[in-house]
Amino acid sequence: MGPDEEDFVFHGTPIEREEEIASRKKKAVAGASGNLRTLPAWKQEVTDEEGRRRFHGAFTGGYSAGYYNTVGSKEGWAPQSFTSSRKNRAGARKQSISDFLDEDEKADMEGKSLSASSQFDTFGFTAAEHSRKQAEKEQHERPSAIPGPVPDELVAPVSESIGVKLLLKMGWRRGHSIKDVRASSDARREARKAFLAFSTDENTKETPDSLVSEAEVETSLGPQYSEDIKISESTPVYVLNPKQDLHGLGYDPFKHAPEFREKKRSRLSANKEVGFRKPLSMKESLFGPKSGKIAPGFGIGALEELDVEDEDVYAGYDFDQTYVIEDEQPARPSNDNRLRLTSKEHDVLPGFGAAKNSDYSMERFNPPKIPKDFVARHKFSGPLEAETKPTVSAPPEVPPPADNNLKLLIEGFATFVSRCGKLYEDLSREKNQSNQLFDFLREGNGHDYYARRLWEEQQKRKDQSKLTLDVKLSPIVQKMTAETRGSLLGEKPLQRSLTETDTSASSGGSFQFPTNLSDTFTKSASSQEAADAVKPFKDDPAKQERFEQFLKEKYKGGLRTTDSNRVNSMSESARAQERLDFEAAAEAIEKGKAYKEVRRATEQPIDFLAGGLQFTSGGTEQIKDTGVVDMKSSKTYPKREEFQWRPSPLLCKRFDLPDPFMGKLPPAPRARNKMDSLIFLPDTVKAASTRQVSESQEPKKETSIEEPEVEVEVENVERPVDLYKAIFSDDSEDDEDQPITGKIQEGQEKKNEAAATTLNRLIAGDFLESLGKELGFEVPSDVPYQEGFKPIEEESKSRSKPEDSSDKRLDRSGLKEKVEEKRSSLILGSEEEKSRKKREKSPRKRSGGNDLSSGESSGDERRRKRSNKKDRHITNHSESDSSSDYHSRDKQGSRSRRKRRESSREKRSSHKKHSKHHRTKKSSSSRYSSDEEQKESRREKKRRRD
Amino acid sequence: MSAAAELPTKEAHILKGHEGAVLAARFNGDGNYALTCGKDRTIRLWNPHRGILIKTYKSHGREVRDVHVTSDNAKFCSCGGDRQVYYWDVSTGRVIRKFRGHDGEVNAVKFNDSASVVVSAGFDRSLRVWDCRSHSVEPVQIIDTFLDTVMSVVLTKTEIIGGSVDGTVRTFDMRIGREMSDNLGQPVNCISISNDGNCVLAGCLDSTLRLLDRTTGELLQVYKGHISKSFKTDCCLTNSDAHVIGGSEDGLVFFWDLVDAKVVSKFRAHDLVVTSVSYHPKEDCMLTSSVDGTVRVWKK
Repeated sequence: MGPDEEDFVFHGTPIEREEEIASRKKKAVAGASGNLRTLPAWKQEVTDEEGRRRFHGAFTGGYSAGYYNTVGSKEGWAPQSFTSSRKNRAGARKQSISDFLDEDEKADMEGKSLSASSQFDTFGFTAAEHSRKQAEKEQHERPSAIPGPVPDELVAPVSESIGVKLLLKMGWRRGHSIKDVRASSDARREARKAFLAFSTDENTKETPDSLVSEAEVETSLGPQYSEDIKISESTPVYVLNPKQDLHGLGYDPFKHAPEFREKKRSRLSANKEVGFRKPLSMKESLFGPKSGKIAPGFGIGALEELDVEDEDVYAGYDFDQTYVIEDEQPARPSNDNRLRLTSKEHDVLPGFGAAKNSDYSMERFNPPKIPKDFVARHKFSGPLEAETKPTVSAPPEVPPPADNNLKLLIEGFATFVSRCGKLYEDLSREKNQSNQLFDFLREGNGHDYYARRLWEEQQKRKDQSKLTLDVKLSPIVQKMTAETRGSLLGEKPLQRSLTETDTSASSGGSFQFPTNLSDTFTKSASSQEAADAVKPFKDDPAKQERFEQFLKEKYKGGLRTTDSNRVNSMSESARAQERLDFEAAAEAIEKGKAYKEVRRATEQPIDFLAGGLQFTSGGTEQIKDTGVVDMKSSKTYPKREEFQWRPSPLLCKRFDLPDPFMGKLPPAPRARNKMDSLIFLPDTVKAASTRQVSESQEPKKETSIEEPEVEVEVENVERPVDLYKAIFSDDSEDDEDQPITGKIQEGQEKKNEAAATTLNRLIAGDFLESLGKELGFEVPSDVPYQEGFKPIEEESKSRSKPEDSSDKRLDRSGLKEKVEEKRSSLILGSEEEKSRKKREKSPRKRSGGNDLSSGESSGDERRRKRSNKKDRHITNHSESDSSSDYHSRDKQGSRSRRKRRESSREKRSSHKKHSKHHRTKKSSSSRYSSDEEQKESRREKKRRRD
Repeated sequence: MSAAAELPTKEAHILKGHEGAVLAARFNGDGNYALTCGKDRTIRLWNPHRGILIKTYKSHGREVRDVHVTSDNAKFCSCGGDRQVYYWDVSTGRVIRKFRGHDGEVNAVKFNDSASVVVSAGFDRSLRVWDCRSHSVEPVQIIDTFLDTVMSVVLTKTEIIGGSVDGTVRTFDMRIGREMSDNLGQPVNCISISNDGNCVLAGCLDSTLRLLDRTTGELLQVYKGHISKSFKTDCCLTNSDAHVIGGSEDGLVFFWDLVDAKVVSKFRAHDLVVTSVSYHPKEDCMLTSSVDGTVRVWKK
């Protein structure tokens, strides 16, 4: 802005464009000379010869996307026209090729280039173009998987065959014959045909288009053939059958399964005949079992897997399931056979004919004649029958021995042997050689009776097996179960009742009879009978029958003999499904029984199970003795119960209601990790008792009278928490609290040690207690590893000293800990360090104040106890809010849910029991500085340790 | 009085458009429009009185199980197999918000009167309350005292009522902070509240509808005759509370007299399971939806 500049006068307009171009050019030159290379990468630009910025990097957003072609900037990937407005959305802009072309290229594209018209088409380019278009048109008439004409590059004609080349090299010249000029063109033609037949796929002959193409080839070759020996200019064999599948080029999906190729082809041709395309059956077979029940017509997201949720519950009403299946069904195999046969019969290869008389002739034999007395049934000479043969003659009837026990034993044994075979007898004879009781096995007392019994039993068994065999012979009765059959024949269930009386009798005796063994595998028959009485699949008798069979097998245990012939009509998946059903039903039955028993005891009807079951497992009918319960339910239901429920303040606000719990403490938080629930799981009994107590207290729950009896429970339990922890907790949990590097590999070791120390402590507990008392121990703080703790320890000690004598009793446990700590430090040496860590960590999760071992000083504990008294009522209050509901609710119980809740409630109550201090600390830490302090000190400690 | 005469038993329109089962059909607040939803993952807005499809809302990833419109017709909410609750704008058809948090399919949704919250009932045994006013996507409250799937939810001005497969109808009263649990002993499929607000009608899976007194929890009446064993079928009351309506799994619709529990009328409404019945808030008009893919409008 100098004053001299103002004196300038401009005339005319400067030619800016010129300059611009010049500058561009300059730039280009500069770029070429490498000046630009000194620029940072993201400033460099790619230009064309004229200095314009060149379009490149199409995949990264055009030009230089972002910082030097990275899309790491705000500019990278900016859409061409970004109109983002709610009402006026950017439509999908269709890009055309012109968007990506430079001006000069566009000019080329817009048809300004010259081309020769057909009239002057000297070199035939235009003709070629024309023919290509023709081919394109043709292509529409015979579709193939590759759209558009077959690319020229792929099928470029071979100008000269290798044979011609060879011939040329050998001195042959075009237009000359090699030999045998008179070789009839017909023969050649024939040979070529054969060659063609080879090269084309054997079956393409049948498809019309390949026929056509062959014909085309023929005709196009025709004139050349007639021209004596002139070899064709191009080998004609390409593209004989258009590609019709979607596989990669050269890929043969049926390489290892040629039979499917046949199938597919026949199907394809069938389709062509019919004129429409059926859905590919491949899909059906692959996804069939899974997708059969998906809702019609709608898939789910590509990234989601099919789930139980996707099953169509209305599938029973699905109509289009049927037509899919028929596709696979038709008798293709026979069709295939026919095809193959025909292809064999006819002369596939021209020039070859089937031999009229062959040396090889198939020798045929007549099937062997079946002897007239042959029975079409195989008899197994099992151990049973084989061994009964020698003793066919009935031993004489013998009076039983006087000794009742012996008699029972013999009878039972006989039964058992008859069941298990002679082998068992031998075995037990060997085993019990010295046993007086089993003398009857060796010609001793009662042997005759035994022989007789055995024979009787074997007779019985034979009869029975014969019976069953007979029954099995007739196909009509095949579906009967043993029970139904038995009841039809009016026979009692032999086997089971026998063994039962046996066992019951023998167990009454002085010895344990081996038949019990068989019963240990089977569940009590009573449960089975009860199960029989319930029919969860009433509406489907066949299914019910199978269910019964299933139950029987289940309760019989041992080796299962599934009679497959009955089931094999079902598909594998259906069978599995049914099995699941059965299992669920059986379980439910059992549970139901358990519940019934409970009900009998408590006179409290519980019908959740039945109700819940009905809905979840759709197939099974509700399992309960309908009549009775219905009567009952009409009287007992509906049952009303009331609980406390705490709406969130925001909810009340949204409903424009005052919060009924305004100003009250929030409910206690739930357990934090699974360890908690695990630790408190086993003492159901105690929990139950406390529950009852608190239930009785429920009416007055918001008072603080609960205190005393809660107090009682504090002392109640000491649990080897460390042991649990060592077994169940995972290291990661611990490491969260206190990350120690290089300790992970010692995790297992640590666990074991922790378990060991816990056990030690438990054992040594009593001893040490008395010891400490006797010595009047003022326990020195643990010497070997205390540096870190010193200040706190000292502080707490100094605080604790004045009250020491009075507190001895209170702190005994703490004392004990210390004594033991010391001991173990002596014993375990270096391991002590680790286990201590473990223990130190645990107080947080572990409940008892008692367990707050080494690090916790007695003073702290006392303080806590004191503060505890102060805020106990507050805790109780907040607890009763939340837990009373759970108590009363628990009465109802439920399935798995119930369990879970129980455990959580137990957690609660045992929290109450064990972790008084812990809890109070949590809920009222803000108010009580002492607790705060203590927490702080612990944290401090940790920090130092680390 | 010929009770059957004043019941909507004549078919006025068939609303066709859903592909696959229609899972719910709901009138809007004044009964001029209807929203239906189904297995084809769409929600459709109809004028049921003229039989016209007005709009289709697509966004759900799986089947849509329930839908509810605000009283001012501006917004509606829907839920379904994709475990989310969608909060829609009616006119633009956009999803305003999606509430995620249910661990399973969501069976039912309802707005409260002021449309400030949506309450959803889920397979995860919980009722969740979602805030429509703030931008929070966390539920305002989770009620998880149910022991099994919550099938249906109804709101009053001060209460949230949920019906669950655990056999209970639980009323959560916000004024006094109490939960009243009425155990019916049978899985509850659908609940609806009488127009006078004194009774709850609970459709149970033992093919029974039960009418409960809300204040005492007393069982007032039992309605039987239809089939409801494994599908979610709806029940409701007429505007005068004179009749109880229930859909049946065999495609019938039943009308019972409220007081003496007689079947006043039954007719074949659909070929297949009737999934939902909805009664016009003022007139004698009824919507039924079915697995056969149709929604039918019934008038006197």
